Amino acid sequence: MNIQVYVIRRLLYTIPIILGACGIIFILFNLVSPDPTLIMLGKHASAKQMAELREALGLNRSYWLQYLDIVKSAFTFDFGRSWATKQEITSMIKQGAIPSLTLTFPGFFLSTVISICVSLFVSFYRGTFLDRGVVFICVTMMSVSSLAYILFGQWFFAYKLGWFEISGYESGFPDFVPYVLLPVLIWLMLTIGPDVRFYRTIMLDEIYQDYVRTARSKGLNEKVIMFKHVLKNAMIPIITYTVIQIPFLILGALLLENFFGIPGLGGITLNAVNSSDFPVIRAMTILSALALIVFNLISDVLYTVVDPRVRLK
Amino acid sequence: MKRRTFTLLSLLLAFALSFSSCTKKQVTNEKVLNLAVSSKVKGLDPIYSNDLYSSSEVARVYEGLLEYHYLKRPYTLKPNLAAAMPEVSKDGLTYTFKILKGVMFQDDKAFPNGKGRELTAEDFVYSIKRLADPKLQGLGWWLLDGKIAGLDAWRKSNAAKDKVDYSEKVEGLQALDRYTLQFKLAKAFPQFLYSLAMPFTYATAKEVVDHYGAEFLNHPVGTGPFVLPEFNQSLKIVYTKNPTFRKKLYPSDASEEFKAIGMLEDAGKPLPLVDKIIVNIIVESQPRWLNFNKGKIDYMTIPKDNFDAAIPSGKNLSGDLKEKGISLLISPSLDVTYTAFNHDLDLFKGNTKLRQAMSLAYNVDKSNELFYNNQALPAQSAVPPGIAGHIVGYQNPYRGHGKAEELALAKKLLLEAGYPGGKGLPEITYDCPSSTVSRQIGEYFKKQMAQIGIKIKVMTNPWPELQKKITKRQVMLYGIAWGADYPDAENFLQLLFGPNKAPGANGSGYNNPEMNRLFTVAALLQDTPERTALYEKMTRIAAEEVPWVFGVHRQSFVLSHGWLKNYVATDFEAGQATYLNVNTKKKTELSEKL
Repeated sequence: MNIQVYVIRRLLYTIPIILGACGIIFILFNLVSPDPTLIMLGKHASAKQMAELREALGLNRSYWLQYLDIVKSAFTFDFGRSWATKQEITSMIKQGAIPSLTLTFPGFFLSTVISICVSLFVSFYRGTFLDRGVVFICVTMMSVSSLAYILFGQWFFAYKLGWFEISGYESGFPDFVPYVLLPVLIWLMLTIGPDVRFYRTIMLDEIYQDYVRTARSKGLNEKVIMFKHVLKNAMIPIITYTVIQIPFLILGALLLENFFGIPGLGGITLNAVNSSDFPVIRAMTILSALALIVFNLISDVLYTVVDPRVRLK
Repeated sequence: MKRRTFTLLSLLLAFALSFSSCTKKQVTNEKVLNLAVSSKVKGLDPIYSNDLYSSSEVARVYEGLLEYHYLKRPYTLKPNLAAAMPEVSKDGLTYTFKILKGVMFQDDKAFPNGKGRELTAEDFVYSIKRLADPKLQGLGWWLLDGKIAGLDAWRKSNAAKDKVDYSEKVEGLQALDRYTLQFKLAKAFPQFLYSLAMPFTYATAKEVVDHYGAEFLNHPVGTGPFVLPEFNQSLKIVYTKNPTFRKKLYPSDASEEFKAIGMLEDAGKPLPLVDKIIVNIIVESQPRWLNFNKGKIDYMTIPKDNFDAAIPSGKNLSGDLKEKGISLLISPSLDVTYTAFNHDLDLFKGNTKLRQAMSLAYNVDKSNELFYNNQALPAQSAVPPGIAGHIVGYQNPYRGHGKAEELALAKKLLLEAGYPGGKGLPEITYDCPSSTVSRQIGEYFKKQMAQIGIKIKVMTNPWPELQKKITKRQVMLYGIAWGADYPDAENFLQLLFGPNKAPGANGSGYNNPEMNRLFTVAALLQDTPERTALYEKMTRIAAEEVPWVFGVHRQSFVLSHGWLKNYVATDFEAGQATYLNVNTKKKTELSEKL
């Protein structure tokens, strides 16, 4: 099938998915969520003012109209204003997405590159002391809680040694760099362990395939076997694993953002949940759903690039 | 190859670290106040400033008619944008203010030629109507709801219109001339003047609101001491001194306690005393604490986790911090913590003896030790010390201190209540917020009640969920606290006023006709001995009736660096930064030790 037709067809599939996502958030908001007027008015809420506020927020309109509003916002990207902060949601997302990405993207990129390199390396030395040592280190790194890395890193490297900023953020390159260095390093500590173990398993699966044995019997150099054949054939699971993580990068890393004072989307989402700020929750849910669909599509298309046997249907 | 890799890695590390070093602050003579807040600031629109963080930020740019005297305790109101305290009619219903002349709004492009204009009485009329605007749903409307003659009607009539008509006259809110403002109240409300010191009623200019529309909250333009050209929620907030700020001087009089600690050193100096304020948003306590220790924040409340390290003895500052020139300020807060009974339940409603038994079984001293480092004051009733209505030396007869005879009495009362040894009582749920400390307090309550055979189940809830449960009356017991909106016992006693039942502030639903009657009488009286006597009577009734198991009145523990001058603890922080000063020479010296 032509790739353009495939992409268009997949994009059309997003419509029912978005409608479904809108339905789920609408039901959850109306059934489970606490009364937003109560939260907005705080300790001085009165029945009269809550009723007035419900009217002003449009919560007294029919369910159908409210649902249509959500659907409309999903297709126009006009999410309106936050109930809690009165800020324009599109601006909040724009302002939050960049700080989140300055933290998560370098962390994700470096962790992926390092993990793939290390996993190729240890799979080459599979079963040796080096391989076991790396696996042991990975498991140890995974066993330590993220909070421990953050608290220790912030106290020791930033406060005691003064190598990094304790917390804070400046917008624009390169001003933000000193503020994200330590969080990125902690991100690496948190992700390299599981990533290396995952990629190593993929590499080992490939190494025992017939074509590797054939390549070896043909007398090919081990470097060529590892980089040209094994890595290329391992690309499909690698793409699946990495591409699907990208939407979550935009959503930020809540703990790291909170501790390092990075004004990203993680904090915005958490604040919205805590204050029953439905328009923000709605916007974040819709955007997440869209990002997941789009990146799934990208990974499908990439399969055809790395493996010509894959056909789009 | 190895050498090349090593060189490359070294270069990368040096490059990365050079970023850190290049951001180190340069020491200048500019006086900069560095502050930290633990929550994102919503925006800078006075009518939405219903949380501590937003109201503090609003008060750097905007001002109100009145303010609390910075150096007087008990809290005393004084004129700010008003030229003097108002003339009050004999019936206490009409308040006439003269506005200061020559006060200018900050320069902004919303004004012709970008030059701020003079503040007038009409600006207050507009600002207060804006708070009442039904389309805007200002979060401080509770303050004036039913208080100003004609304002509720104006709000109601405009709710149905497409566009709110600000030109429509309100009987109780009028500018008599350019500098005279008159309020007529719908009923006596002696606490009215406190409303005019709260950020909700601060002066805004109509042309600025019209110019920026919905984005007004990001473009604050007031008459205040600091300027913020544009607010961006994602960044730290940097204010600079307002070049057109009027001549306002640091106070020359103070309460004895403040005189004694040299708070009048800057007396008579023009305000503000610093050139710039930087507000850092640091949500977590560890980075706030570390930044303070590095001198990047000038003062902060001690986080609970660092309390033992900062004050090892429980009262005195650690030697390490003293050496760095850091000082400690302990001051009582106008608040009360309590465990409320749901008085809608038959179990608690008519059963005073059960409530008394539970209060006696609860050892408040131990809770003070466990959760407040033994620094809070056990509450005897609802009204905290420092305001009229609190009875100095009064001991609540049903206050438990862990004594055997108190437990024996609790068991006796439980028997008389019809539940010998707790038999016949259902398992009682205790709802609280989901923070670690709240849960621990809940577990402690459970343990205390087990002593007399009462079974408690602790339920933690995210804050919105707890609010919902209280409002929908889905709680049996719940742990909560109340902080003062203004320094008047009415603000605490209204929590026990029957008609204020949830979703009003009386979440417990306590409804005692005698208490209601006394409250209604006191609510109409000015600050007189007669009113204090009524407040005290209500305090005693609350103590004996045990509508809640009273907790404590907390104290604040604030650390400040030696270079920070004029810091005093206050329950009403709005405008505080105007009075703070930084000794730059001392900062340079002390920074070496950090």
